[in-house]
Amino acid sequence: MTLFTLSFTLLFVFATMMISYWQKLGLEKEIAIGTIRSAVQLLLIGYVLQYVFQTENYVILVVIICVMIGVASWNAAKRGGGMHGVVWRIAISISVMEVLMMGMLLGLHLIKATPQYIIPLSGMTIGNAMVVAGLFMNQLKREAVSSRGEIEALLSLGASAQQALHQVRKRIVKFSMIPTIDGMKTVGLVQLPGMMTGMIVAGASPVEAVRYQILIVFSFTGSAAITSILLSVLCYKLVFTKDLQVVVFQDS
Amino acid sequence: MFEIKQLAKRPFHMNKTDDKYLLSNISAEVVRGEWISLLGASGQGKSTLLRMFSLLHSPDEGDMLLEGISFRNQHPRFWRKQICYVAQQAVMLTGTVEDNLKVPSQLHQLTYDSQLAKRLLAAAKLSDVDLKKDARELSGGQMQRIALIRSLMLRPTVLLLDEVTSSLDVTNTLAIEELLKDWHRNEGTIMIGITHDLKQAERVSTRTWFLAEGTILEDAPAKQFFISPSTEAASQFIISGQAEVLAT
Repeated sequence: MTLFTLSFTLLFVFATMMISYWQKLGLEKEIAIGTIRSAVQLLLIGYVLQYVFQTENYVILVVIICVMIGVASWNAAKRGGGMHGVVWRIAISISVMEVLMMGMLLGLHLIKATPQYIIPLSGMTIGNAMVVAGLFMNQLKREAVSSRGEIEALLSLGASAQQALHQVRKRIVKFSMIPTIDGMKTVGLVQLPGMMTGMIVAGASPVEAVRYQILIVFSFTGSAAITSILLSVLCYKLVFTKDLQVVVFQDS
Repeated sequence: MFEIKQLAKRPFHMNKTDDKYLLSNISAEVVRGEWISLLGASGQGKSTLLRMFSLLHSPDEGDMLLEGISFRNQHPRFWRKQICYVAQQAVMLTGTVEDNLKVPSQLHQLTYDSQLAKRLLAAAKLSDVDLKKDARELSGGQMQRIALIRSLMLRPTVLLLDEVTSSLDVTNTLAIEELLKDWHRNEGTIMIGITHDLKQAERVSTRTWFLAEGTILEDAPAKQFFISPSTEAASQFIISGQAEVLAT
């Protein structure tokens, strides 16, 4: 596909902006920024990946993965606004997940140990972990408001922070994993995932594309579970003060 | 003995350096076996005071000691195990009625005393409640009684009762009063309870604290308080309380 033919896809963006203007949705600026950012970011990463694949420089590979984890953590941490020390907690959770996932994929020879495999798979699992972490933080704050009575009832009976938040933590972990599990159930029936579609368009056989997609779907489940459970261990104390009282968050 | 020394609390969303207080100069000594009714008009900070006693709010100044040990030298969970707050709005935890009653023993790795639970349920007129029923399906009055029994299962040294009979009819209110009197007699638990029912305060308590102007304005034996209050504010409060009873 040439850049000229690719530019025709901007028609979709213009149409969306026209609708936004016509319906007074006020989204034109957001759409314009989103369009420019996504195009620049994707083109840039395309050139970076081309360079990395050619040189097979593992330092650059590690730097790219660290940048991915950093951006994902920073973005997901915004959902936990008002809580301190969220970014590093998310970064640790995602990093541990990445090490475990890549260790397993490479250790079991499910993928080749080349940047061509490691970077896209890391990007997809880290991206999924980011969504899970964002949902987790958002729900943790919500539960601290909506389940305050339940948590305080337990504290009144002499519960520790861990005991007082046990049920709430279970609910948050479940909640944060719902999109991943739902996606797993409907994949192939409702949506054909991006990676599989991309491989088919690029000429790979559908069966080969499906095999990689299954790998991705299972990796997503693992990454969601690891990230969410680690976050529940690292973050539950954030809803308590040093005197073991429930922190008052503004209901958002 | 439960000692309260110059306890003070600033309003929740005010600057710490602000010199205004929600509650201040709260001092008292309470010995085993006392039953205190905490009285006062709405908005005087009665619930805040009880929540502060159980460390659900931190005092900004002053100290509290139980058997000579300051709250500052104890982990809040051990303090709350001894000084237990029972909220006006009863909250049932996930699970059955029995699961709720077992919570204190599970939290502190104690043996669940099923005989005690049975006895308390009977005294609270809850014998016919199915213990396997989802606790969140109970009526408001049933929840309030289960929440109270759940706290009693902890056998605290001090029990803080925040209008625990507010959702109950007359029969059940009297049953709970009898249950608490019985418990108080046998266990010697210090009871500090908020009530808007002056008759109830007269029936159950040995001492009254009248909360007004951000402090305990009057601390007197219950009989003396109702017969001859020493402040004008308390007199007015008792008269308006009696007028309310007559009006109903």
